[in-house]
Amino acid sequence: MSVASLARGAHGELDQLYIETRELRLQGFLLFLVSDCVLFSSFIFAYLYLRNSGQGWPPPGIQRLDVAFAAWNSVVLFGSGATMHYALENFKHGKWMAYMWFLLATIVLGAGFLGGQAYEYNHLIYAEHVTWWGSGIFGASFFTLTGMHGMHVFFGVCYLTVLVLQSSAGVYTRGKYFGITAGTLYWHFVDVIWVVLFSIFYLL
Amino acid sequence: MAVAAVHAGGIADHIHPEPQGFVRRYVFSLDHKIIGIQYIITAFVFFMLAGLLAEAIRTQLLNPGGGFVANGTYNEIYSIHGSTMVWLVTIPLLTGGFGNLVFPIMIGARDVAFPWLNMLSFWIFPVSGLMLFSSFLLGAPTAGWMEYPPVSLQGAAGTSMWCAAIFLVGVSSTMTGINFVVTILKMRAPGMTFTRMPLFVWGQFATAPLLMIATTALAAALAALFIERQFGVPFFDPAKGGSPVMWQHMFWFYSHPAVYIMILPAFGIISEVLPTFARKPIFGYKLIAFSSMSIALLGFMVWAHHMFTSGLAPFLQLPFMILTYVIGVPTGIKIFSWTATLFRGKIHYTTAMLFAIGFIALFTIGGITGIFLAAIPFDLHVHGTYFIVAHLHYVLVGGSLMGIFAGMYYWFPKMSGRLLNETLGKLHFWLFFIGFNLTFLPMHWLGMEGMPREVATYDPQFTFWNRFESFASYLMTFAILIFFFNAIWSIRNGKRAGANPWGARTLEWQIPSPPNYYNFKHVPTVYGLPYDFSTPLPYKGLDEELTDSPPVPAGAH
Ligand SMILES: [Cu+2]
Repeated sequence: MSVASLARGAHGELDQLYIETRELRLQGFLLFLVSDCVLFSSFIFAYLYLRNSGQGWPPPGIQRLDVAFAAWNSVVLFGSGATMHYALENFKHGKWMAYMWFLLATIVLGAGFLGGQAYEYNHLIYAEHVTWWGSGIFGASFFTLTGMHGMHVFFGVCYLTVLVLQSSAGVYTRGKYFGITAGTLYWHFVDVIWVVLFSIFYLL
Repeated sequence: MAVAAVHAGGIADHIHPEPQGFVRRYVFSLDHKIIGIQYIITAFVFFMLAGLLAEAIRTQLLNPGGGFVANGTYNEIYSIHGSTMVWLVTIPLLTGGFGNLVFPIMIGARDVAFPWLNMLSFWIFPVSGLMLFSSFLLGAPTAGWMEYPPVSLQGAAGTSMWCAAIFLVGVSSTMTGINFVVTILKMRAPGMTFTRMPLFVWGQFATAPLLMIATTALAAALAALFIERQFGVPFFDPAKGGSPVMWQHMFWFYSHPAVYIMILPAFGIISEVLPTFARKPIFGYKLIAFSSMSIALLGFMVWAHHMFTSGLAPFLQLPFMILTYVIGVPTGIKIFSWTATLFRGKIHYTTAMLFAIGFIALFTIGGITGIFLAAIPFDLHVHGTYFIVAHLHYVLVGGSLMGIFAGMYYWFPKMSGRLLNETLGKLHFWLFFIGFNLTFLPMHWLGMEGMPREVATYDPQFTFWNRFESFASYLMTFAILIFFFNAIWSIRNGKRAGANPWGARTLEWQIPSPPNYYNFKHVPTVYGLPYDFSTPLPYKGLDEELTDSPPVPAGAH
């Protein structure tokens, strides 16, 4: 309700149709995130099932993952969650320049996380000879899950870049900014998934 | 809150511009009713193909030594028969088909929440169907519709095609699920509270979350199988450290709820047809509604009852057995409510009503054998035999498909403006009902005596009953041909139906047949349940629906 009154306050007359369409989209988008979450959960189930199938973990011949590097990389991703939060807040309060800077920072941090992940994959594959297809259930679960997550981050970075272009073109106003809300929700979702993946692959 | 969200003059009252041209109207239509009909027609085409495969199976089984098709081909045939009936016929008909066709009208909406997404959901469906059937060209899957590894890992290239096809049709289901949940939560007409929703809408409301959640779990399993087959990344191959039992967990975590995806909307259809033709309020409205929701929830907790022979620890088996019994309770409540609705009713024996009553009888048998199968000792005895085949066909044909036929006879006039021929309809019903029972009832004892399912040849001691079943199955097929003839003939030559040929009380019958693209001229206000036949209709604002006046959207911009 407060969102609706804000939208009206900013623009005087924001049409009812838009407000309700936005409510529908928000709900639809949240449900999409729920089903995406089930997709991750199923693969996480598969990982835990295989991990506990009595072969020991990590399987013989494979080193434990490097926690320190991944931890720093996680900090980068969580930092991007914070900047995205501030981007949305600033947009809501009409601070356009701050919004843009925070959005750009989010993109840079997201890309940084992907770079870190690429470095880690590179190290595993070429230095430790641990590959997706050649290291049994370890490669299957680690590369599939983190790869799926990386794809999500990649799509997120692309989407945020689109947001930058759209915002410069004046697509979003103080009353109509569902695209930014959706982007923020998605980005936080990707963050939360990473908390789980980091815990079960690196800490467990 | 939910009621407050439905404002007059808001999106519930918004009228899309009228679509122009054949393509916009009938091909890439955004109208939920047209999309529903597209689903129904497409699914019935796949139904015919699956029926041909079924008759190939029965013809092979005329003789203990087979001989109609090669043994390997037989495996492909039953795998595609099962996959088609589940994913391309029953689920699309009950959700995308009947769901789209009537539930938005039943809640007083002008369309679903996301019409564009709805169109996309539909168009993915025939594409994935073609992919599934094209797997015959590559060597179709041979491990049944469950595709257990390691057999599915060794299957020909068509198995990967199968994975991709089912994955895609799952994406379509997931989008439909999201669309329906949002539509029911947000698009109800003023006064259409949850406890005033017709029971068909409750059926869809219980099913849609299953479509959204369970189907995604299956998508993960299919993706893993695909990856393993194409890239050699081990998930399920025990030789590489994977686990074939893990597939069974992932598959049944979807596929048990999938049974409810295939039966809850059919429950909804029955709950509309029975009170209409018994001219009595449905008995236990809230019981039926809430038992649907509890079945949907419990459905996620029983999957391992399919795996009692897969080496599950006994302390894990026991809760799955008990929870499966628990699901029998809400199901029993429904059967009790329907029977009580019939009791002392003024019953009109239309074809739709015959199918609904047939549904109760056959589904009860399927439900009871389900309770047998939940008992671990009994399951160990009949696992993988024809007893399972009998059970699942009583539930999915005697249940879901009878429900679909009831829905076809009931809503065909709303789709086309004409009634299906009742004489042909009754012939269809009786031949189908008799043919079905003669085909599948003997499978119970064949299974108890140990005839294994999914095998191209069998022990000669089973010859008599197998021949008997095969001939009975031809009778069933003949009955279905009568139905197809009836449907095609009646579109042009059927009796004109008028708005409300059955004297039904839900909203879709208060507007013309077929409805206008905007459904309602004014969005109605709802004052009560639709099932009380002794009172006036509980709606306001429908006075002009059957006149020539133009639509007047309060909130048109
Ligand atoms: Cu089950």
